Amino acid sequence: MSKLNETDIQGFVLRGYNFPLARYMFLHLADDDRAGQFLDRLLPSITTGEHWDDGKPDSTVNIAFTHKGLRRLRLPAASLLSFPVEFLEGMQARSAVLGDTGRNAPERWESIWREERVNAWLGVNAMSEQALESCCADMLRIMEETGGASVVGWQDAAALKVDGQLTTKEHFGFTDGFGNPDYLGFERSTQPGQGKLMPDGSWAPLATGELLLGYADEGGELPVAPIPHLLANNGTFMVYRKLHQNVAAFRRYLEEKGRQYVGGKEKLAAKLVGRWRDGTPVELSPDSPDPAIVMDKKRNVNFTFGNDNAGTRCPIGAHVRRTNPRDAFGFEGRLTNRRRITRRGLPYGPYAPEGAEVRDDEERGVAFMVLNANLARQFEFVQQQWIEYGNDSHLGNEKDPLLGNRDEGGSFLIQGTEDPKNPPFLCGALPGFVELRGGDYFFIPGMTALKMMSTGTVDPR
Amino acid sequence: MPNESGSVYGLTILSPIIDDPHARISHDLQLRMHLGALPRGEDSPFAKVSSTHMARLTVMNDVVYVGMPACEEHLQSQYLVFESNFDGDLDTYLRRMATEIPDHVDSVWSHCIGYPGAGDVAAFESYMKKCQLTTTFYFADVNDKTVQQTLRALQTQAAVASFIERNQGKPAAELQNAFTKFLGKLRAAPDPRPGSGKDQSI
Repeated sequence: MSKLNETDIQGFVLRGYNFPLARYMFLHLADDDRAGQFLDRLLPSITTGEHWDDGKPDSTVNIAFTHKGLRRLRLPAASLLSFPVEFLEGMQARSAVLGDTGRNAPERWESIWREERVNAWLGVNAMSEQALESCCADMLRIMEETGGASVVGWQDAAALKVDGQLTTKEHFGFTDGFGNPDYLGFERSTQPGQGKLMPDGSWAPLATGELLLGYADEGGELPVAPIPHLLANNGTFMVYRKLHQNVAAFRRYLEEKGRQYVGGKEKLAAKLVGRWRDGTPVELSPDSPDPAIVMDKKRNVNFTFGNDNAGTRCPIGAHVRRTNPRDAFGFEGRLTNRRRITRRGLPYGPYAPEGAEVRDDEERGVAFMVLNANLARQFEFVQQQWIEYGNDSHLGNEKDPLLGNRDEGGSFLIQGTEDPKNPPFLCGALPGFVELRGGDYFFIPGMTALKMMSTGTVDPR
Repeated sequence: MPNESGSVYGLTILSPIIDDPHARISHDLQLRMHLGALPRGEDSPFAKVSSTHMARLTVMNDVVYVGMPACEEHLQSQYLVFESNFDGDLDTYLRRMATEIPDHVDSVWSHCIGYPGAGDVAAFESYMKKCQLTTTFYFADVNDKTVQQTLRALQTQAAVASFIERNQGKPAAELQNAFTKFLGKLRAAPDPRPGSGKDQSI
C-alpha cells in the first residue's frame, strides 16, 4: 500500500493530541453561500496530520459535519444521498439500534441534540487556557465576519487533575486511553496488542480502510463511501457521545459490594473494568496492580484472552473484554478485527477526590468520540452487541457492567476458582453508572474534500 | 434425516392462496392484515400449542424479476408460508393445531385453495402434509431440549443467580440450609408459561 498523505488527513483522525484542554463547539451553519465562505476562511487554521518538527502547536482545530450540515453546505443531492444510511439518519434516529432507550432516550438528551440543531463539530484542543481562549476567539471572529456559522452550544473538556497533577484518568478513577488500534501506513510508534492478532501470536496493524475512507479494509474492499471518491478520500466517520458519569453511585456500589467480595473494593473495580485503576490489565496481573506493566509499552496492551476462557483472570463480561474481545471468541481473533474503533475524547467536570462529597446530578462525565470507517459495522455493532447485549460472550442479555443502559437491576459475574483468594462473586443490583446526554454522527472530511465543499466544487458525476 | 434434528421437528408448509378476481380485497391482502394483527409472546395462538419452539407465518408474493439477462419468471400462485420448529412427531402436532386452536387455524388457512377446515382432523392432516416441503434448516436457537426443558432451564438459571446474590459469603451450614429450602421451592415452582419471554424467577 502507498504511504498516506498525512497533510490531506485531519490531524484529529491520525493522532490523539494528548492536549490537556479541549472545547468542542457545536455549530449551526447558514443556509446559503455564507456557510461555504466560513469553511473557506477556516481552512488554513485546520490542523492536519503534518509532522510537528518544531514541536507541538499551542492549539489545534478540526471540523466535522452532520448530514444536515452537509446539506447546508449545498453538496449535490447525488453526493448527499450516497452516504451510508446510518450517517444519513443521524444518531437520534438510530436510538433503537443502539439501545439508547429509557434513561438514555433522546427525549432526555440536552436540547441542542434533541432538536438536532447541530450541523458541525468544531474541535479545539489546547495546551493552555490562554491558547484555548485565543484560538476560540479566532474561530468566533471567522464565524461573525462571514456570517456562515453560529455556535449553538459547546462542551469544555479537560484532563483531570488529581493531587495537582494532570492525568489521563476518567472520573471513576481509571487511567484511560489504552489500546487504540494501529493502522497500516500510520507513522506512529506501534505497540504489540494494538492491531490485529496474527496466527503466530504477533500483532500487525489493521488495514487502513478500517479507519480511513478510500483504502482497502480488512475484507479487502473499499469501505462504503460517498461519491465522488475525492469527497470520501482520507475522511472518516465520527460518533460524538456526551456520557454522564454517576460517580456517587459508582463509589457507593464499590463500597457496598467491596465489603462482601473477598478481593475488596479495588479488585472488584478492576474486575468490572478489566483494568486496575492505574491501568494494569487484569488479564496480566489478576491479583494486584503492577506499575511496571503500565509503564511498559511492550506489555500494557499486549495480552489475549484465549487462555482464560473461563474468565477467572479477566471476567468474561468485563468492560475491556467486551469492547475489545481480542481472541476471546476464537478464530485467532479474526472475529474482532472488523469491529475495532478508534477512541478520542476528554473528561468534563471537576474531578472529585476519593472521599470527597459527590453527587450524581453534578455535571461530570466524558466527551466521548469514536472514529471508524463504517458506523454500522464498527461502532453500532460494538454498542448493540457487546455493550448492550451479551450473547456473543454466552452472557445472555447481560450488559456491559460499566456502560450498560439500565435501571438498577443488572448483574455481573466475576468468574472465580477454588482458590479462596479468588472466589466467584455475583454482582447484583447494578445501577446505571453511565448515561447518555446527547450526540450525533459526523463526517470528518479530508483536506481536499473540505476545499471542494467550501468552493462548491463537489462533482458526483 | 430431513425434517428432524434430534428431538426437534422442522415443518415447512406452502399453501397456495386463493386468487379470486371478484374479491373486494384480495385474499393475500386479507391474509397479510390478519397475520399482522396476530398477538405474539404468551398471547400467541402457538403458545397454546405448547410444544412450539418457534412458528412463523408469512405471505410469499412472487419471485422478484431481476432483469437482463434473467428471464421473467413467476410463481403459479401466491403462497402462505408456515414454518414451525416443535417437539415430537408431525401427526401429533397437526392434531394439536386442529383441536387446540381450530379457530385460529381456520381464520388463516381459509384463504388457501383446497383447505378442508380444521373440523375434519383427518382431512386437515392430509391437506397439510400435501403442502409440506422438506426442511433441512432449523431455527438456530433450538437445541436438543424441549420447550419445557428450555423454559425450566432459564427459570433455574435466573433463580440460581438470584440465590447466589442473596446468599454468597454465608457460613457453610447456613448456606446449605438456605440452599435446601431454595431447592424445594424451585422444584415446587410451576412450569413457566410457553411464550413467556421474561424471567420468571421464583
